[in-house]
Amino acid sequence: MLSGGAPGSAHAFVDLPPEQTSPPPVVLTVSPDRPANQFAAAAVVDPMEEEYTGDEFDDYAGDNAKEEKVSIADPLEPFNRAMHEFNDKMYFWAVKPVAQGYKAVVPEPARISVDNFFSNLGFPARFLSCLLQADFKGAATEAGRFTINTVWGIGGLLDPSSGKELNLQEQNTDLGQTLGVWGVGQGFYIVWPVFGPSTPRDTVSIAGNYFLDPVAYLNPWSARLGVNVLDKVNAASLRIGDYEALKNAAIDPYVAFRDAYIQYRYKQIKARKAKIFSGSSAAEPFPETVRPDKVD
Amino acid sequence: MKKIRCAPYWMVFVLTALVFFTTGPAASAAGLFSAFETVSRQDGGLNTAIGYRYHQDTYEKGNGLKIRQNEIYSQAAYGADNAWEIYARLGIADLKIGDVFRESEEVFAALGGKVFYPVSGKLGVGAFVQGTYYLNDFSDTVERRKHVQLKDLWDVHFGVALQATLPCGSTMYAGPYLYYSEGTLSLSSNVSDWGYAAGRYSVQNTSIAGGFAGLDIPLAKGFRLNVEGQYADRFSAGAAISYTY
Repeated sequence: MLSGGAPGSAHAFVDLPPEQTSPPPVVLTVSPDRPANQFAAAAVVDPMEEEYTGDEFDDYAGDNAKEEKVSIADPLEPFNRAMHEFNDKMYFWAVKPVAQGYKAVVPEPARISVDNFFSNLGFPARFLSCLLQADFKGAATEAGRFTINTVWGIGGLLDPSSGKELNLQEQNTDLGQTLGVWGVGQGFYIVWPVFGPSTPRDTVSIAGNYFLDPVAYLNPWSARLGVNVLDKVNAASLRIGDYEALKNAAIDPYVAFRDAYIQYRYKQIKARKAKIFSGSSAAEPFPETVRPDKVD
Repeated sequence: MKKIRCAPYWMVFVLTALVFFTTGPAASAAGLFSAFETVSRQDGGLNTAIGYRYHQDTYEKGNGLKIRQNEIYSQAAYGADNAWEIYARLGIADLKIGDVFRESEEVFAALGGKVFYPVSGKLGVGAFVQGTYYLNDFSDTVERRKHVQLKDLWDVHFGVALQATLPCGSTMYAGPYLYYSEGTLSLSSNVSDWGYAAGRYSVQNTSIAGGFAGLDIPLAKGFRLNVEGQYADRFSAGAAISYTY
């Protein structure tokens, strides 16, 4: 929710690595000057097409456009739908109005700088995840990014590392992906209040990222809360409209978000595994990570 | 034609490590004056830097207070047209006065601006002005139980220089500068080593003029190394690594 687009998706708006950004069947661009985030792009499905495919998603992996279908068990659907509704209301009644006010007051370059700052603080989780995935090049890239952005990026407010010359791109990974790369299955779908769509495996990521987030160690608690709210409101202000676009394009938003989430995480883990085991095929199915069992 | 090899990428990290790990405790006047021609893009852009300077000076009164400081600072600058630049610095500096007063790091802030005018393709003249203020007071206990404070320390520098372009994009610059520094010294009782009785004194720098010279070398990937020496009453020197956006 607080991540700004889809309610509760703490992972949902992290862009995929460049090599994994092959276009989905239908891409709805919500902002003319900024592409729709990958989560939304993956989720927006032509209703006519959905008539034939149900709530499965097509994933065009690589040049051969091989179709992969991803689904997830949803034994807690009544609870999840209630939480989805709660997060939806929280977005429209609290987060969005505050983010719109914030957006009206704070110019976009400043909001991007704040976003860079908090992204830089996410270094420990990304660095550790890379190490745990034996992605030493990724870990070194993260360490270089953190050093350069902290020292020459004015504490992380600027992001010189992503420039053309340095080209040290942020490693799009977390502890949930680490478990996925290790072969841990995703389990069932669960929607947490405030945190949004998740699985038991990705819930580990929420907990782990909390302990690896420097903001979590701020005292007193009110300062911690304030900084976290700033982070989330700032992030939301940069993505106003994405969530609405996805919701409006879906016949059943709950199903759309669920499938978009699982599709998005699947692609992220696949990208990580393809990167780490670059000799093997990116399209190779994971034995445990994503089970193609359809439950609906 | 023989190709000139410029400094490799890894030097950025080695030099940064040197700045961090060989300079001891952190850093007073605040940093280098730097080359006068901005390293920012011609159509306007940002550059940032991290720098270190070892600073020595003498303040008047009594036997003269010889001060030593280590400064570390971060700088953000905006410049354009290869002609002008404004910059802000935030850093920390320690302070030693003689052999008896030692204070660990306090925060300082500096603002400055510089202009450059190219006389020919390889030669130009520039001028700068820079002011520094210490946001915290320095305090220590000397000669047992005698509490000493140096409060409201500030300085202002103004200088002009000639700047020459060297091969490989390096630049060299040198010139004179004027400066004024002032602080309030507060003593709880007499300090015999300095010849001061208890009370409050305004102290200023002994010399008001000095000279400086420096070298600015491109490294790689937008990084540059700047080394500089300054001499007024005593010698100061430092280095900074900048990054151009």
